[in-house]
Amino acid sequence: MNNKEIYKRIAGLVKPHAVKLIFALLFSVVSVISSLFIPVLTGRAIDEMIGAGLVNFVGLTKILTLFLIMLLINGLSSWVMTLINNKVTFTIIRDLRKRLFEKIHTLPVSYIDSHGHGDLLSRMISDVERLSDGLLLGFSQLFVGVLTIVATLVFMLRINLWIALAVVVLTPVSLFAASFISRKTYKHFKKQAELQGGLTSFINETVGAVRLIKSFGAQDIEKEKFKEKNEEFSKANLKALFFSSMTNPVTRFVNGLVYATVAVLGAIVAIGGGISIGTLSCFLSYANQYTKPFNEISGVITEFQNAVACAGRIFTYLEAPDMKDTDAPMDDAVSFSGDIEIKDLCFSYDKTKKLLYDISFHVKPGSHIAIVGPTGCGKTTFINLLMRFYEPDGGKILYDGIASDSISKSTLRKNIGMVLQDTWLKSVSIADNIAYGRENVTREEIIEAAKKSHAHSFISRLEKGYDTIVSPDGENLSAGQKQLICIARLMLSVPPILILDEATSSIDTRTEIRINRAFKALMEGRTSFIVAHRLSTIRNSDLILVMKDGNIIEQGTHTELTEKKGFYYSMLNS
Amino acid sequence: MKKMFSFLKPYKKECVIAPSFKMLEAIFELIVPLIIAHIIDEGIALSRKAVVFKAGGILLLLYFIGLTCSLTAQFFAARAAVGFAKGVRAGLYEKILSFSHENIDAEGTSSLITRMTGDISQVQNGLNMTLRLLLRSPFIVFGAMIMAFTVNAGAALIFVVVIPVLFFVVFLITLKTIPRYKKIQSSLDSLTGHIRENLSGVRVVRAFSAGNIEKRDFNDNNDKMYAMSVATSRLAAILNPATLIVVNVAMLVLIYNGAVLVDGGILTGGQVYALVNYMSQILVELVKLSNLVILLNKAMASGARIENTLNVTSSLEDKGTVDAAELDSAENLVEFKHVSFAYPTSGEDFLSDVSFDIKKGEHIGIIGGTGSGKSTVLNLLMRFYDVTAGSVLFKGSDIKDLTLSSLRKSISVVPQKARLFSGTLRENLLFANPEASEDEMNLAIDLSESRDVVNSKGKGLDFHIREGGANLSGGQKQRLTIARAIVKKADLYALDDSSSALDYATDARLRENLKKLTGKTVIIVSQRIISVKNCDRIIVVDDGKIAGIGTHDELLAGCEVYREICESQNTEEEGSL
Repeated sequence: MNNKEIYKRIAGLVKPHAVKLIFALLFSVVSVISSLFIPVLTGRAIDEMIGAGLVNFVGLTKILTLFLIMLLINGLSSWVMTLINNKVTFTIIRDLRKRLFEKIHTLPVSYIDSHGHGDLLSRMISDVERLSDGLLLGFSQLFVGVLTIVATLVFMLRINLWIALAVVVLTPVSLFAASFISRKTYKHFKKQAELQGGLTSFINETVGAVRLIKSFGAQDIEKEKFKEKNEEFSKANLKALFFSSMTNPVTRFVNGLVYATVAVLGAIVAIGGGISIGTLSCFLSYANQYTKPFNEISGVITEFQNAVACAGRIFTYLEAPDMKDTDAPMDDAVSFSGDIEIKDLCFSYDKTKKLLYDISFHVKPGSHIAIVGPTGCGKTTFINLLMRFYEPDGGKILYDGIASDSISKSTLRKNIGMVLQDTWLKSVSIADNIAYGRENVTREEIIEAAKKSHAHSFISRLEKGYDTIVSPDGENLSAGQKQLICIARLMLSVPPILILDEATSSIDTRTEIRINRAFKALMEGRTSFIVAHRLSTIRNSDLILVMKDGNIIEQGTHTELTEKKGFYYSMLNS
Repeated sequence: MKKMFSFLKPYKKECVIAPSFKMLEAIFELIVPLIIAHIIDEGIALSRKAVVFKAGGILLLLYFIGLTCSLTAQFFAARAAVGFAKGVRAGLYEKILSFSHENIDAEGTSSLITRMTGDISQVQNGLNMTLRLLLRSPFIVFGAMIMAFTVNAGAALIFVVVIPVLFFVVFLITLKTIPRYKKIQSSLDSLTGHIRENLSGVRVVRAFSAGNIEKRDFNDNNDKMYAMSVATSRLAAILNPATLIVVNVAMLVLIYNGAVLVDGGILTGGQVYALVNYMSQILVELVKLSNLVILLNKAMASGARIENTLNVTSSLEDKGTVDAAELDSAENLVEFKHVSFAYPTSGEDFLSDVSFDIKKGEHIGIIGGTGSGKSTVLNLLMRFYDVTAGSVLFKGSDIKDLTLSSLRKSISVVPQKARLFSGTLRENLLFANPEASEDEMNLAIDLSESRDVVNSKGKGLDFHIREGGANLSGGQKQRLTIARAIVKKADLYALDDSSSALDYATDARLRENLKKLTGKTVIIVSQRIISVKNCDRIIVVDDGKIAGIGTHDELLAGCEVYREICESQNTEEEGSL
């Protein structure tokens, strides 16, 4: 994404607030003009002080009254302007974060699988913060800055052409210095942001795995790797920091040049009687006010360049293609019977390699399908396709005769319940975890579900029972306990299709058998896919899918497959 | 914050140079109004052009020296801040790596990550700005006042009134806003947590079609943060107009008083101009100072958190002196003697009176239900936690007498949670043993039944694993973590329920392969009879106590708990895949 496109998108963010910003602009015009009157009035006041005994106090009082009025107008209008700018910025940022978060839910799972979570997180948090800072400065200082420059020029031209011209001639120096520095800074900031992403990812990953690192005594290795990344980042950091902090001194120096020029030129003109001392003092104030915005604008530009780099990362993420869904107007409440037909299904992650291909089978409602095969044979892939986490490269999956790509994902997923291999719980109370995804669930229903999944006894032994908050990394619960909660989550309302992905692998054996019984009751009349190891489960299923190297290589009933004497048969006898 | 500031030591020079040069620059800035007054009073009033040109030349010179000073200061400030942050980052990282399990439990992983990232950058920023402004701003404020007094003491009295008023206004508003900024920060933290959770749980969220609920929760938090930000900025927005009005009202008084003094022949117009100028310099610097206060406050809060983390005392004392590698192997490689253990937060015994021994070369199974204490046995053996009673012996010595690193080097554990790092497979294997040869790594891959995983990915050892092992299935990750454990040269290999995602056939081949590690002792922790059935001896753990030790047949005959487990798994009558 090039800068032009990024600017366009930033403009898109700002557009809905145009009316408010126009108001802010109006107030800033009032604020700038009133503030420019103050030096004029100060100058006039000084001119009233001609010498001992010659001060005109009547004129002075008039001038100072006007001074006070201008001052109040200036203060009020700049306050209102700031309020509007702040509000607009915070609104933009809030809405942007909302979009970013919603994006998580529309992206294909493959995108989230293939991007570092740390990286995505930093786009949604720190990049947005930077963009916010950039926008706020842009609104509050860019307007005022440009306005001040223009208005000051007009004021100065009205007072004395030659001095004003001298100031104009010096302007490019200021602009040049500012743009030179901001260009340099941008380059370094960009590099710094990249390295920071890498460093954050590394910290995320290793700090989360300290236990593992220690058990391998690999602290030194990690320390070494960290040192390298830290060193690299710090170098970029120093450059970015130094270049950005050059802005102030350099523009201040250019300001100084302008100030000195005005002082000398003004004094010479004053000696010739061209202007009064008061006018010179007003000019000098202007020289200060005129060059200060350059200072600020260059600061804004630096910050803004930085913000643009961040915005680029934000928009790249926001514009990643969404997953496909269907517009088919199908009622969310539709309930499947459990009839599933798979026709010539093909899929692979790496499109240059064949993985799952030419799969076809048809199961009637209530069938039990066992998926068996050596580890890593691609069972997870198959589930990814059933749930439409990934889209097939070819072929179709039909639920009740309707192709899965014409069923909305939410309808589809409401009809499928699954217990995944990796348990995931939210960092909320256990009760809320069990009621996850549903509204208006009573405590009784939750307890009932927990009882069915045999989670009730351990939950009620916890100090805070169902109100125990699962810690962010879930480490206050054992793997088995977490899995029990996941099962309870499913128990609350059992969908017509079940996927049980090694659901009981880390639950202790005595509970396991009870759960298996509960599962059997659940599976009664429901189409169920079971990633199975136990021979009894496999033998009693209506269809066995034998997977190897990512593909289904055999299918049939236990008797059929045994007679076939193929891979299944050889596995049985291994 | 002694520990944290010790990282500033190498930058003493920078910390002196930066503010000193800033002060120099400030001095030159304070001279400017005097020169202008000189131009007005001596040059214009007396029509002497030479005075004007000379003064102009001095002005240019002052600005140039000012630029040099200020660039020097910025450079040294940046260098000190970056260097300091780098040091703190490295120190903190090292500290975190030295944490015991108990420390990590107590601190929490996500807050440690915040320490390492956000907090450090706050501190860096705070230091940088402090070096640049802390001396300069007050110096200009008071310097301007003193200069005003040298011009005219009577007229300068207004400075004495206005500076405290300004300080009051600035600090009142600043201090009022600081706690609010803190609240905003913590609400940002909760947004971060929410996003992190949704990324890692994307499949479950979608399976439950809970996207809308998640969005609603997120929006609630997001709206709260928005409301807080707007309210806080409303307060902060008063600062600028308020100070502007205070200073300009003072200016008004100054001008009027000045006029009276000029009328009395005490002051000149140029001098009034200089006084007015000093007043406006004060305003600029005070605003900078208030920003610095906000920044410093944030930095101090972050600094205090960092300091706390740096000061955490490891709950494990590493006072052993004996190198485990140099011990002759005793007959019993491992011995638990009446071991009891309670997690520090719970108080109730998690393991009680556990005694057993493991002989060199033995294959030992440990079986028991969830929460029975199987993994805890390994945690105690690795000395991730200290026993509360009894003792653990390794090669005949109490493990507290061994150096921690030598103990952990002698034992290789495959943890329950299969976790790999982003990077190549080779890097992941070298993590366990940096000196491992290509052959050793390949052997480990074969023994862990990971050959087909590696082949299916192509690229062999250079296959790139994504963050969190996202491009591997659960079973593939487990096998690779086993390969990694084998690469480590250890006396004892322990698998903590680490084949749960493997099918029985692969699991069986894997256990067979482990026997090829001749002379090595192996512990297999599992919930499944089939996984431990063929071990030399099986230890049955139930509810934190040992329910029986013996071979499969012995336990079937004599151990009630074991028999129950067997029955539940039907190992006798049914086969499994």
